[in-house]
This record gives sequence, structure tokens and C-alpha cells, in this order.
Amino acid sequence: MADQNKKEPELKFYNEILTPSELFAARSRSRKIPVRGQKDFFPDDSDEQRRRLEQSLTEHWSLISEERVEKLGNLVKATWIPSQQIVELQSPAGKFWQTMGFSATGKQFLLPEEALYLMECGDLQVLHQDLPLSIQDGYEKFLSSSTVSLLQYQVFGHLKRLGYVVHRFDPSSQPSSYARQLNLPQSRDRAEKRGKRKRSDSPSTTSSHTEAQEESDRMEDKRGVHEGEDDEKLPESHPATSPETSGTHNAAASSAGAGGTWWMADVLGDQSDHQPTSGSSSHRDFGSILFPDLGSREHLSSCLASPDPSLLPGSLAVGVCDVSHWRQRINLREVKMSPKEQEREEARRKRRWDVNKDRQVRRCRNWAEYRELLARRGGRREGRPAHLWNREVTPLHDPRQPIPTGQLLEKISVIESTHLLEGASRLKDSDDWRICFNVYQPDSVADFKKSDPGKPYSRMCVCSFGGPVPDLRAIKQLALQSGDVLVVFAVVDHGDISFYTFKDFQLPTDVIP
Amino acid sequence: MDDRPSSHAVGVSLCDSAPLLWRVEDLRTVRSQGLVGALLGSLPRTPRQNVRLGRPLLLLEEEETLLRERQAAAAGYQQDGRGAELRLQVQQHKEDQQRSYEEQSVLALEDRKSALLRAMTSSHTESGAGAQGGALRGRLEALDRSFTFPCSALAVQLSTARAGLSYCPEARVVLRADRPIRGRDELNCDAARYQVFRDLRGRGFYLTSAGKFGGDFLVYPGDPLRFHAHFIAVCVSENESVGLLDLLSVARLGSNVKKTVLLCSPGPDGRVLYTSLQWSGMV
Repeated sequence: MADQNKKEPELKFYNEILTPSELFAARSRSRKIPVRGQKDFFPDDSDEQRRRLEQSLTEHWSLISEERVEKLGNLVKATWIPSQQIVELQSPAGKFWQTMGFSATGKQFLLPEEALYLMECGDLQVLHQDLPLSIQDGYEKFLSSSTVSLLQYQVFGHLKRLGYVVHRFDPSSQPSSYARQLNLPQSRDRAEKRGKRKRSDSPSTTSSHTEAQEESDRMEDKRGVHEGEDDEKLPESHPATSPETSGTHNAAASSAGAGGTWWMADVLGDQSDHQPTSGSSSHRDFGSILFPDLGSREHLSSCLASPDPSLLPGSLAVGVCDVSHWRQRINLREVKMSPKEQEREEARRKRRWDVNKDRQVRRCRNWAEYRELLARRGGRREGRPAHLWNREVTPLHDPRQPIPTGQLLEKISVIESTHLLEGASRLKDSDDWRICFNVYQPDSVADFKKSDPGKPYSRMCVCSFGGPVPDLRAIKQLALQSGDVLVVFAVVDHGDISFYTFKDFQLPTDVIP
Repeated sequence: MDDRPSSHAVGVSLCDSAPLLWRVEDLRTVRSQGLVGALLGSLPRTPRQNVRLGRPLLLLEEEETLLRERQAAAAGYQQDGRGAELRLQVQQHKEDQQRSYEEQSVLALEDRKSALLRAMTSSHTESGAGAQGGALRGRLEALDRSFTFPCSALAVQLSTARAGLSYCPEARVVLRADRPIRGRDELNCDAARYQVFRDLRGRGFYLTSAGKFGGDFLVYPGDPLRFHAHFIAVCVSENESVGLLDLLSVARLGSNVKKTVLLCSPGPDGRVLYTSLQWSGMV
């Protein structure tokens, strides 16, 4: 190129084409980069400094002016397809095919940034209209806002030169927030999963519901897909509800359809539907129903008459019951007590809380309700007042679970530290920030599969020093989109690229447990 | 070193609205004017590393503005109207390649012959020269007859800059310096930054971008190839109030990297007021 410089600049038409002999000579040129010596602190106009600067500049220009010369046999040929903004290979791909490019309709293609990088590496010759494209053509034709911007390509090239595998990030390949909520596996087996879920709607699988499936079922309930056709779904061991309560619960169940307390009510409503015979006898006078007292000395008959058939469910027939066998087992002897003992017993009886005088107990209409009451009271006695726990808002801590002070303080602290993903799913998408690349580590190249790249090492978001810093909202959104893969911000400043990440930070607490 | 008149117009090509220089001559021209820029491309010699990069050269907006200002009056390139048809160009390209193949195959043959000659003469200097000479001649003749230069061995150039005869005629449009590269309003170059850049460059300093040091420019006393930067220039307009914390943080950062932070405030008549902050050493 030196000879060109001598020509008149006004008239010269510029090109940097090498002559055949230059091309031939270039085959044996050095691949080494000259080492840069220690820099000086201040220019002192010494000859020594001037000489060294001269030498550095000479090296610099020889490196910069060097053209890429490759043997034709080592070059992969390709053509640029402007309409699709991709590059189609015309000759068999090289080693790069393991990590770059894609096949479609029996042809091999490269994305523009991949093609440009390979051109820069001297591996690829791209032709357009039967003429080879220069690197400059590549930059100007391949890089655009519809493909990859110059800024993004700078980051792409930087990472590729370091050996990383870099792929474009495809937001649609990420599971939706709904799928993520269900903790479903990756998209590949999503269809299969859906089939499984349908099967799980059948009554028989009720007990084997996994958490995710249960959740999905519930979601379906919410969406009105489920119309109570699977009333058998409930476990058999569910406590029986009396016919009287069934009426109210039925009402609740029907109102649940309109979107109220749909879940609990649904369960009970289904259960009541399950007792077909109890529907007719809606009211019972419990005072008139006699329960036999086998321990009573007055009772002399050895046989119990059969109970009133109207009290029995269905076609159940109960005959006369011989209780003499049972009576033999009961200790019928009168308890002999000393006067002192009798006194004490009397006092105790006076103090004793008569279960039948308890209003709440009296309000119980059946054993199930009484049991529930007992459970509620038992809970309260154990230090966990049940009424605080059966509503939507519950206490911050269950006193039955002892935890260290530090943890407790952390638990009850009203202003909690949040993590990046918290509330991120509620945020609306914005187009200001987006993830550009999936990055895989260089050591994964050997067994890297394009069809199954696995989890990326990190995801790149490209921005410039001139632009704004991402706000918390953007960081949250990107973190959510990326899932458990770290989002790295590649900040390009002119030629320099710096990489930053925003990480959750757990503040240390100094409470001794 | 490189004393071409500044009338040489620099061909700036816009890629994604970034001003890039591609031709070595242009790179030399701007460097001779003390403009450093930043290299973006892979180095042809060893492409897979980031230590030393190659063309293209990305200009700072200030550098672009300065170039434009200096060359506004210079007689620019005139387009020579050589818009050869595509078909002819393809033809030309094929002919060039064919010629290159022929020349290279001659060179390859010569190369092979001289290698053979070297091998034969070095290993048989003492023994009967006559017989060896005959054998050598025979071998050389055989080589002449049978030698074919494989097409795959043809060395071809992957051009960096678009060649002048390439088919893309719009390339030449931007070479005209009298036509502004971009309108003033298109350039989002900050006026204050530019004034500081111009002033510092006028004093002989070399400047690069200082984003990673939290400033506007890194200021070098000489060519950055040989010298360390001395200052981090932070552009602050004269009547702008600066938070104490901001001031302290840049000063602290500067002292950590052994550079002096310069607060540069452009004045009214093109002058720039420079202020630096130093720890007083009082306890």
C-alpha cells in the first residue's frame, strides 16, 4: 500500500488490494503479536523516547494495515441473503458449526453476527451478487437494528474472541410466568405435561396429586373449567356432615360458582351431595332420640330394641341387640367412698365444668362439629388460638414452632428485605431493556450441542455508557425473564466493554441466637 | 512521521450511526492529528484475542466533530463517476482471480524449485558433483512438467476496507469532506465536552474515552501507545453546582488509579477553566 500513498490524493481512487505476489508472500507471515514495552510517564523529548515511539508506531501500523489472506481451500463460502438478513453456506461448514449456525430446509445458515465474526477470523468468505464482501461491507450490511446493532456486535465479538459460545436470546424460549409458577419443566415437555394434567382430573388420582398438579387443578377451578363433575374426588375418610348443614353448604357451593370462597365451600358442598338419602329429613328433634345407657343400674333388660329406622341411613336394617354380653364387662359395682372422699368428690363435681352446660358445645349439632370445637380449643390450649389461624390473615409466627431469636426477629420484622424476583411477575413488560445473548462458557465448547445447549452461564444485556442505568423495575423484569441464570450488563464505552451484574445482597444480622 | 496535509479527506463510514474509519491511510491521517479513536475489529493476524484489536476505528463524537471542523474548508474528494456495472465487475473479479492464480502458480513452482535446489546442494556438497547435478536437473525438469498449483492453495484476500472498485457506489459519497458527514443536529455531541476536547487536544494532549474511570476523557501527555494517562477530565459547566459526594468520589477514584482528576469548565470565549482536587495532607 505504500506506493499508493505517493499518488495524488485528489485523483487516487482508493483500494487496499494486494498483488498476487503479496498474497503469495503473505502465506508465510508471522502470526505473533509484538510485545508492548513498558510505557513512559512523561515525554521528555529525548531521542530514546522518540525512537521507541517510532518503533511502537511502526509495529502498530504494520499490525493495523495487515490484510487477511487465506487459502481458498480453507475458506467456507457463503452468500448474503438481504431479504432474510441471513447468510447461507455454499460449501461445507468448518469447526465453527458446532457452536454457530442453524439448518433449515436442508440448507445451512449463519446469523449475520456469526457470519461477520467468522469473516473477521478469516474463516468465511461471504459473496453478494457474486462478489466477495469486505469486512466493511459486512459491518454495514449485516449490522442493523433489525438484526444486531454495532454495540451488540462489539459485545458479541468480544465474548467470541474470548472463546465463549454466544447465542441470541429468544424470549419465547423462556417459560411463561404461569408455567414458572407451576414449576413446570422446560418448554420441551410442556405438551406432555398438559396431557398428564388432564388425566389427573380423573377421580382416582386425587390422593396422588402432586403439588403442581393440585395447583393447576385449582387454577382450572378458578377459570370455571371445572364444574363440580368430579364430586368423587374427595377422600372417603372425610368427616360426615349432617343433612341439616348440607343445605347451607349447598347454598355456599352454588354461590362459590359466582366466585366467592370457592375452594372450601366446594369441598363441603360436594360432600353433602354425596349423601343422597339424607336430603329429605331435614329436621330432627335430638331431644326425642334416646341413646341407651348400658351402665345404668335401672336398666334391666338384656336386650336393646332396634332404633327408629327413620334415623338410619338408607336401607340399613338394625335388629334387636343383645347387650348382656357388654353388661358383663362393665363394672357395675357401686363405688364405696369414705365421707371425706365423698365430700371431695362433691366439691369436685361442683367445680367441674359440665360439658352440657357449655353453650358452644350445646350449639354443636353433631359429633363432627363437637370434634371441631375440641380441636379448636385444644389448639388454643397449645398456645395457638385457632381463630387467628383460620382466616386469610394469620399471625407472623406459629408459637408452637420454636425458632432462634435471630430468625424470629427476622420473621416478624415488618419491613423485610426483598429479593430481586419479588413482585417481578406483576410488572408489565417494557421494551426499554432486553436480554440480547445467551452466553455459554468456553470449556463447554467440546461437548456443546446447538440443539440442546443447556443452561447458559449468563445472559447479556447490552447498553452504552451514554445511556441510563437500568432502574429496579428493569432489573427485576430481566431477572424474572432470565430465571436462575445471571443477567450481566455489558456496558460499552466507545471501544471498552465493562461487565456489571446486579446481585441480591443479604445483609448480615448480628443477633445471637 | 506522517505529515500529509490535513486537506486529505477522511472517509468516515457510518455503521449503525457510529462513525467508523476503515482505510489504513485514514487511520494514519487521524492519528497524525493526535486523534486516537478506538479499534473495534478482530486483528487479522491473531483474531481470537482482545488485547490488540484491528480495524475499523471508531471515532469519538468529539473527534468526528473536530475532523469535520478542520476539513470543512479543504477541497474534498470529487466523485469520479466510475459506477461500473455489476456484470462487468463480476467479470473483472473473475479475471483478477484467474490472473492471480496464474501468477501464484508460477511463484509456487519457483518456490518449490528453490527449495529442492537448496535441499540437494546442501546435502551433497562433498560427493561427486557431476552425477548429482544431473540428477538435480532431471528432478527439476520433472517438477516443471508435473507441477500443478491446486486451486485450494490459492491465497485470496478478505478485504478489510471496501475496495474502490467494489460495486457499492455510495461508498464514495462520504469521502467528500465538503459535505458534512452528519448535520450538526444529528450529532448529539455535547457542546461542553467538545469545547474541553478541543482545548486539551489544542494543548497537545491525546484523549480517549474515560467511561471506565468515571470521567469524560482520559488525558495522555503523548501518544497512548507509549505513555500513561495523567488526568481524568470531567466536564462540568461553570455555573453547575456539583454535589460534594460526587466530587469526592471522582477525586478518590482518581487517586486510586494514580491520576489527577481535572474538573473542566468551558468558559465563554472558548477558554476552559481547569480545576483539580488534592488531599491537603492536614490531619
